[in-house]
Amino acid sequence: MIAFLPWIPLAAALVVLFSSAKNERFLKTITLTACSLCSVSVFIYFLNFKPEGGFQFVTARPWLPAFGIQYKSGFDGINLTLCLLHALVSLAGAFVACAPKERLKEYLFYYLILTGGIYGVFTSLDLFFLYVFFEMTLIPLFPMIGIWGSKNKEYGAMKLTLFITTGAVLAFFGLLLFYREAGIHSFDLVQLAQVLKARGGFSIGFQHFVAPMLIVGFGVIASLWPVHSWSPIGYAAAPTAVSMLHAGVLKKMGPYLILRVAVTFLPEGVKHAAPWLSVLAGIGIVYAGLAAIRQSDMKYMVGFSSVSHMGYVLLGIAAMNSVSLSGTVLLMFSHGVMAACAFAAIGFLYEHTHVRNLHDFGGLAKSMPFVALSLILACLASLGLPGFSNFVSELLVFIGAWRQFPAVVIAAVFGVLITAIYLLRAVREVCYGKPNPRWAHLKDAQGFAERFPFILLLGALLIAGIWPHVLLRVIEPAVGALLS
Amino acid sequence: MNLALLMPEWIVLGILIILTVFELLLVDNEILYKRVRNIILFGGLASVALALMATSGQTGSVFNGTVIVDPFGTFFKLLFTGALAAVIQMSRSFFRARPEKTHEFYLVLWIALAGFFLLVSSNDFLVFFLGLETVTLSFYILTAYLKKDSGSIESGMKYFILGSLASAILVYGISLIYAVAGSTAFPAVRQAFTAAPQHGILIAAACMVLAGLFFKVAAFPFQLWVPDVYEGAPTPVVAFLSVASKSAGFAALLRILWTVFPALEKKWLLVFPAVALLTLLYGNFGALVQTRLKRLMGYSSIGHAGYLLIALSVGGKSGLSALLYYLAAYALTTLALFGGICAAEPYLKSDKIEAYRGLGKRSPFLAGVMFLALLSSAGVPPLAGFSGKFLVLLAAVQANLNWLAFIGVMAVAVSLYYYLNIVRVMYFDESPREDSISVCLATRAMLTLLSAGILAAGIFQAPVLSWAENAVKYLF
Repeated sequence: MIAFLPWIPLAAALVVLFSSAKNERFLKTITLTACSLCSVSVFIYFLNFKPEGGFQFVTARPWLPAFGIQYKSGFDGINLTLCLLHALVSLAGAFVACAPKERLKEYLFYYLILTGGIYGVFTSLDLFFLYVFFEMTLIPLFPMIGIWGSKNKEYGAMKLTLFITTGAVLAFFGLLLFYREAGIHSFDLVQLAQVLKARGGFSIGFQHFVAPMLIVGFGVIASLWPVHSWSPIGYAAAPTAVSMLHAGVLKKMGPYLILRVAVTFLPEGVKHAAPWLSVLAGIGIVYAGLAAIRQSDMKYMVGFSSVSHMGYVLLGIAAMNSVSLSGTVLLMFSHGVMAACAFAAIGFLYEHTHVRNLHDFGGLAKSMPFVALSLILACLASLGLPGFSNFVSELLVFIGAWRQFPAVVIAAVFGVLITAIYLLRAVREVCYGKPNPRWAHLKDAQGFAERFPFILLLGALLIAGIWPHVLLRVIEPAVGALLS
Repeated sequence: MNLALLMPEWIVLGILIILTVFELLLVDNEILYKRVRNIILFGGLASVALALMATSGQTGSVFNGTVIVDPFGTFFKLLFTGALAAVIQMSRSFFRARPEKTHEFYLVLWIALAGFFLLVSSNDFLVFFLGLETVTLSFYILTAYLKKDSGSIESGMKYFILGSLASAILVYGISLIYAVAGSTAFPAVRQAFTAAPQHGILIAAACMVLAGLFFKVAAFPFQLWVPDVYEGAPTPVVAFLSVASKSAGFAALLRILWTVFPALEKKWLLVFPAVALLTLLYGNFGALVQTRLKRLMGYSSIGHAGYLLIALSVGGKSGLSALLYYLAAYALTTLALFGGICAAEPYLKSDKIEAYRGLGKRSPFLAGVMFLALLSSAGVPPLAGFSGKFLVLLAAVQANLNWLAFIGVMAVAVSLYYYLNIVRVMYFDESPREDSISVCLATRAMLTLLSAGILAAGIFQAPVLSWAENAVKYLF
């Protein structure tokens, strides 16, 4: 079943492609069914997962034996957590994507390809397929942003695609070197790990050479400073469901791949690059936070905020100990859910008002209590209020990184303060204050289809916040296995 | 001598005669002529393909060893046959809206096919030159076929002048080889090279032969003709030129390098990587600033030649099978792209990229196929073009050509810009016209098949790869 996870949305995409564009109801049903099916099965895997290191539910079938390529999938605590994140966000996003719009058929087609590709990245245990799915997810974004986006959309779409692809091909080159250096004609991550363990790992020189390549290559999509500039522009231009998936899940593919490939196989190289990475992460946290303060467009603000928060994730990776990495994985989950929720709320407001400027709103807590509450909760989670898992995970990252990079941690804690400034200001401007009479006629989110995405995401945020152990119990053994 | 080995060639010649006879008989009855011609052409291609498959495993030589039959040749012959089928369909939609008569057009296309077959089966420099010139002369006619279109005449003229120059250099090289080796047969020349690998005249002759072939495959510094010729020539001819002529050039290069010049391998390994690098850079950076689609395709085909030359520099079984795989993927992708252009051109009446504005609305089918083909051309997974690039670059890294592989990888990001630019125009921009573009059933079927092929070859690499590996075996 796990091997089919990416193929369910992809098959649904084919069905959508060959059905009539007029039958919107059918198209929506297909999309929602495929996404729910995947989400439910991920949830079942999560319940049946035994919290211990190593991969579970592994399936493999040979694909291109001449190069040792297999179609291999399986879960450990890390990709299971991220798959769970994707299950939540893609389902919520599917409801948002099904909202009425022009050329709905094409939109859902691309959305399903995107969803399937992300499942592929988070389930594959073969480097070849990992890369194939990774690059596959980048392409649907281009038409999705370009056709259905807003404000500077053509520029945003092109910039986003080119930046991430350039990073991806750089990492691809690293992977090719990696394959040759391992010399066992295999892309199988499990087998590579065993063989390299027995051999004592790659030579130090090779690790020092390739690890930065992978960190920068995959770091582009994680909006590593200074290659982050595609991110706020891209998110501001993207339609709601794309912003949700991209900020929520897609961005996490970068750190995930760094963990899965660089940290696992090139630990010495990562350690060598860690001081640089931590400094870049620290600059990213503060710089993007300060930039977010200056924004009046809400989407730009949340875009910069996500750049800033990915800095914590990268800082956790740079510290490379079990505490910081557990914090990193948990933060990827928490930030993903929170970012998706924030973008869903902003998208909802934009759909109805067609403005995104902070100062154009006001007093929405009165006229749209539900959406306003969702936005407020997402913002509170984002600024690290205890009770949300963002707090727990950021704390873990700080504790883990304190010994190696105290200066960066101080900057990062300062970053939390900056986050509080711009998010609280946004909450004040949008939800409270004098009600703007322009929005008096606005209706709150109504009915199941409109409210469900928020309920799903906020529920997950609260559960993970109150009881982070439910995720940490699967993350910690996996991180331990990764580091050993 | 087993003449049955040449069954596909006999069929090609037979169809050529039938085609000529029917053209003469039905010269007054246009409608009947077209019907009969279509039946002959597609029936002929189907029987050639069947004959090729029936003789696919066989090897042997005929005509005193001047012509050989082996799976390496068969691989390319199948490629040419498939490409010609697509090109004929493109020509039908291309000429439907044009005043020119097409009687000679299909005849010359078919003569070119015969030339291709001869070229990839040759085992003697004379037969090789005969095949090459049959192809090249046909293309001189085809590129200049639109008699009243100055662009087409110009492109034919340029191709003719530069092509004759290349042929002259090549044939001079052959004469020098004959002067030293005393024979034009491949095995005899190989012996001469093995006996005296440092012989100055032989090396000069080899360089001339290679220069002639580099012209065909558009390798740096013999690539200047490509954008000009592509821009002006009739679109189906450009498709045939970029798929079949390039494949034939590489087939001839492989055959000659590995069966005639293996003694020079150390020398060419010094030169080819540099040629590959420059070709790659020239094609990809040249394409960035183009405003006409066919001209852009010319530069992009130079870029693809760069990847193929990387595979050539790697050599060995892994490099060459990657090369053959890349060629197959390139053929599928390019034919799909030109198929889309041919179907859209009569409606757009322009070759400018901006004329494709709003194609996504005017014909979702055509725009979709072109989107897919452009992505495959850029090397995006899970499409055929990605698998080709993956195999080539992996082979390069395995052979320690790291810097070349690095440039190859980075060129993917560059190429994505100009390909996505076309997608941007097709999907994001509004068209001044809203009328939809109708695509005839046969073209639809062809484009669907090609798209399915692009997807299938990209997802299931194993069948094409094992076919390529099997073909390459016969070179060593």
